[in-house]
Amino acid sequence: MHTLLAAAADDQWITLDWASLGSTFWPSTFDGLTFGAIYALVALGYTLVYGVLNLMNFAHSEVFITGAYAVVFTLTSLGFGASPPNLSGPEIVLNLILAGLAGMAAAALVAFLLERIAYRPLRRRNAPRLVFLITAIGMSFVIQNLFFVWRGATAEPSVTMFQNKAVFDLGGNLIYMDTLIIVIAAIVMMVGVDQLIRRTRLGRGIRAVAQDPDTATLMGVNRERIIISTFVIGGVLAGAAALFYIMKVPSGAIYNGGFILGIKAFTAAVLGGIGNVRGALLGGLLLGVIGNYGQVLLGNGQWTDVVSFIVLVLVLMVRPEGILGSNLAKVRA
Amino acid sequence: MALLEVDNISVHYGRIQAIHDMSLTVEEGEVVSLIGANGAGKTTTMRTLAGLLNLSAGKITFDGEDISRTKGHIRVVKGISLTPEGRGIFPAMTVMENLDMGAYALKDKSQMAADFDRVFDLFPRMKERRKQLGGTLSGGEQQMLAIGRALMAHPKVLLLDEPSMGLAPQFIRQIFSIIRQVNEQGTTVLLVEQNANQALATAHRAYVLETGRITHSGTGKELLANPAIKEAYLGAA
Repeated sequence: MHTLLAAAADDQWITLDWASLGSTFWPSTFDGLTFGAIYALVALGYTLVYGVLNLMNFAHSEVFITGAYAVVFTLTSLGFGASPPNLSGPEIVLNLILAGLAGMAAAALVAFLLERIAYRPLRRRNAPRLVFLITAIGMSFVIQNLFFVWRGATAEPSVTMFQNKAVFDLGGNLIYMDTLIIVIAAIVMMVGVDQLIRRTRLGRGIRAVAQDPDTATLMGVNRERIIISTFVIGGVLAGAAALFYIMKVPSGAIYNGGFILGIKAFTAAVLGGIGNVRGALLGGLLLGVIGNYGQVLLGNGQWTDVVSFIVLVLVLMVRPEGILGSNLAKVRA
Repeated sequence: MALLEVDNISVHYGRIQAIHDMSLTVEEGEVVSLIGANGAGKTTTMRTLAGLLNLSAGKITFDGEDISRTKGHIRVVKGISLTPEGRGIFPAMTVMENLDMGAYALKDKSQMAADFDRVFDLFPRMKERRKQLGGTLSGGEQQMLAIGRALMAHPKVLLLDEPSMGLAPQFIRQIFSIIRQVNEQGTTVLLVEQNANQALATAHRAYVLETGRITHSGTGKELLANPAIKEAYLGAA
């Protein structure tokens, strides 16, 4: 606020720094893709649940932050701290896998409990859509504040997973280890989910429920099982995202740390086309990259979110159904 | 014992009672029709039998087993398949995928190839359109697909909710001829229709439903000849 007023006095509070954008274009792009991949993994949780329940599960951001806490707790107990651990490569990989599994298990458990405790009783009573939405927002605050009471207002001590270094040189631009791991792992997981939806029996059940829940029941699809499965899949992906998030933001485990990331992921899902698995990936990557460009161009980290959401509004004005447009119901094998 | 026995059931939507103490039976091998005006409770009855709606009183017995509290997705496994009003085609799945969904509940998939052949025998047009999306089919084609899809689950009783609704006359004749054919191949059929003429002519026995209550029952021929029913449901025939 202070700087903003001061800058405004100069009549210069918006300046477009094209030179910086030009000189840092590729690093900004790679960094944006890295965050975009994390948004995309979280976005899938929103999209899958929306597909089968028509519910924006706003508590999904807390499913994610639970995963982040589990990742940090696991790494801390394995001896990780603020400086990179003195371990061999394979040992680090093993530890990261353990932390990732812990994050996935914790996030999936919270997603499971959320469905069973908060949403399922409402379904049994045929509650209107608005009640589900309010419950989702309420559960988001409940989980956030449970972490606040338990862990306090400060972030967990940071954990550094490894000494980040350049892996290779792409036309004069260095690609770093964390970018490589996160983008590749996220894309592999997204392809996995895409194939699961298209090719497996569970995927057929998910598509059937998304298109016509009553007829799905008539085909012998257990709707309740499909619903809980989508929550658990979303939780597992959020747990993986949490591992990558802590890799990028070592002090990211804080009680309200899921909020902005959750909104970004939700935005990514809408941007790509809500209910669309490939749309979540596209939306996430776009949002990550565009936000970074905005930050560099306008010279301040606060602009990341402004630019991201302006892009969202502009895209939705032209394509209200998102870029890829379709939803889970229209996914084809 | 009848294959399907409905014993004094009541069904409510909230506080509104849609079905009052209804009883009916369907014997193995029969075609039974349920006719009635709009809002008489025909679709409610079918959805209740398929397990999409809960009973508030009474009992449903199928194949000697009380299924009053059995969930819808389990009733399919037990042998009850409903093609719902409006047909319930998955619009973004192809014809093949829709048929595949029909076999979702089957544990034993060894006969699937033969099942596809059977459906394509009954409905050659479905074979031509097998890669087309369900949502792009005409109403008559969707009805064929819905019946074919229900048969994929090997039902003991096939419930058909308004199969002729919104169809051109040549499709209506074809659908009823298919229903007779499916029945001759050994599937019991319970049919709900507004097209009372065709429904009564096709059925071994029939029931008349008025505002949630059964008011008449008898063989198809008896009801076709009944003056009250002629006047109410068969037009100035």
